[in-house]
Amino acid sequence: MERTKHISMPFGQRIRGILLRVFIYAVLIFGSLFLVMPYVWMLLGSFKDALDANALEFRFLPQEWIITNYTDLFTSPNFPIFSAFLNTVIVEVSVIVVGTFVSAMAAFSFAKLKLPHRTFWLLFLMSGMMVPYAALMLPQFRVFQELGMFDTLWPLILPGFFGNVSMIFFLVQYMRGIPNAYFEAARIDGAGHFVCFVKIMFPLVKTAVAAQVIFWFIGIWNDYFAPSIYLITPSHMTLQALLGSLNPSMNRQYLPMALAGAVLSSIPMLIIYLSCQKFFIESLAIGGVKG
Amino acid sequence: MQSVELCDRAAGAESLPSREPKKKVSKQERREQLIAFLFILPPIIGFLIFTALSVIFTVIYSFQDYNSLSNISTFAGLDNYLELFTSPTRGPLFRKAVVNTIVLLLSVPFSMILGLALAGLLRLGEVKGSKFFQVLYYLPSVSSAVALNIVWNYIFRSNGLFNTVFGLDVIWLDEGATIKAAIIFKNSLNAMGGAMILYLAGMLNVSSELYEASSLDGAGKLRQFFSITLPLISPVTFYLLITGLIGGLQSYADSQVFAGGNSGATTIVYFIWQQGIQGNNNQGLASAASVLLAVFIMIVTLIQFKVSNKWVYEE
Repeated sequence: MERTKHISMPFGQRIRGILLRVFIYAVLIFGSLFLVMPYVWMLLGSFKDALDANALEFRFLPQEWIITNYTDLFTSPNFPIFSAFLNTVIVEVSVIVVGTFVSAMAAFSFAKLKLPHRTFWLLFLMSGMMVPYAALMLPQFRVFQELGMFDTLWPLILPGFFGNVSMIFFLVQYMRGIPNAYFEAARIDGAGHFVCFVKIMFPLVKTAVAAQVIFWFIGIWNDYFAPSIYLITPSHMTLQALLGSLNPSMNRQYLPMALAGAVLSSIPMLIIYLSCQKFFIESLAIGGVKG
Repeated sequence: MQSVELCDRAAGAESLPSREPKKKVSKQERREQLIAFLFILPPIIGFLIFTALSVIFTVIYSFQDYNSLSNISTFAGLDNYLELFTSPTRGPLFRKAVVNTIVLLLSVPFSMILGLALAGLLRLGEVKGSKFFQVLYYLPSVSSAVALNIVWNYIFRSNGLFNTVFGLDVIWLDEGATIKAAIIFKNSLNAMGGAMILYLAGMLNVSSELYEASSLDGAGKLRQFFSITLPLISPVTFYLLITGLIGGLQSYADSQVFAGGNSGATTIVYFIWQQGIQGNNNQGLASAASVLLAVFIMIVTLIQFKVSNKWVYEE
């Protein structure tokens, strides 16, 4: 509609419209440069050697393109990126498989079963969302230490087994939209509530669950605070903990290796983001406008 | 035991009409209530252990002095809280962390202003590749904070990319104000994409009739933006402000990875980590700081829930 208006506008106004658009694109592209630059810089730096990257004289491109930063990450016992990758996947898979099942089951109960005091229990769980991790971490740290779980993946995995409140909250709203008729027939045929959940509800809400799983996956992938507290042996670390231990603001010679690690650890996340981009942007927009 | 007690109470939920005789129904209902409670039991146990109990113990720790060598705790009253403000060694560290955390929160309004301006431009120009820009600008928000901090540290070195591109000679990573400026700059940039997307979604929700009516009254685009768009998207502004504040108050990776512990950029959570975990020698003090932080964040969150009515999920 706007476009036809432009055409019928007088010449001067049309020129002004075009100039305005040129200006807008210029601003957006200028902004994009700022956003792309860190990633380009990460990539370029990862091919420099430590002397080149830390040289006093500024150079944009690597003096000599080397790939040892990458190969070192796979061979060095101090920064074993492959085991860090495996550890991250172990945390991801165990937390997400168990945690999603537990969360979906709780959401089913909140949405469809005759749960007494359901609003109270939901608010009870949600009240935890406003407690910062810093206020929980010290007692947990002491207990995990006493249990001999320091420097293992358990402190990262165990809390996840009990589900995820934001996932529960989201799925409750989604499951309410599923008609009761689906379950009534099965109930009459003698199916229990658990069977109703596993065989009927879960398949019906697969997409909503998948959406939440993707968010949770990215969250765990990028989680740094807890892994950095609990993990000290390089071969026990997750990717982010390992990257943090390469911290080039303290050890300058590690800079190119840290950049190579940053590149490698970003690739899986980037693939997920770009392949689900539409879904990411839409979920964000809905959350913000409704929230 | 708790579940048995719960079963005796009437179900608050709307119940499906049942075809069975009355006496049997109540037995069946009790069974359903029990099962319903069992289904939510794991998250509740998780909450009790990992949230409720942990918070209680953090509060208890904050009134204790803990010796990690002998593993003995002694009651210390309010000493830890007083020490946060009056200790000649730790007091200044805590004050610095509080000031730094507050100053670094400046990136929240900056990112909102940038996001709002970008969303306004996308809307005004009916930009063709709008989705492309949204995906690109949101990229830092899904990226690893550690990875970004590593590369931003590199960018902000004295002979780094930032100084070179802008022809500056600033020492960004020192102990003073410049390191905070650098962090605010990068965080504003990293968060503006999310703000842009939310503002854009908010703007698309504003009825076009309002704009048409005001155009007829002779209002220009700028006037429309300030007197129609901005007031109507204020819920988005509020949401961004609160979530930004809550996130910013818990910032840790910036101090640890970007600043490498530089005292110009220590945050409250970094202070807690330093006192309670790193040296493992001052958990009482760290817990006192955690309690103060938690209380402050809870107040901010409660304001959010009150204003945005997030609790009202049942329509």
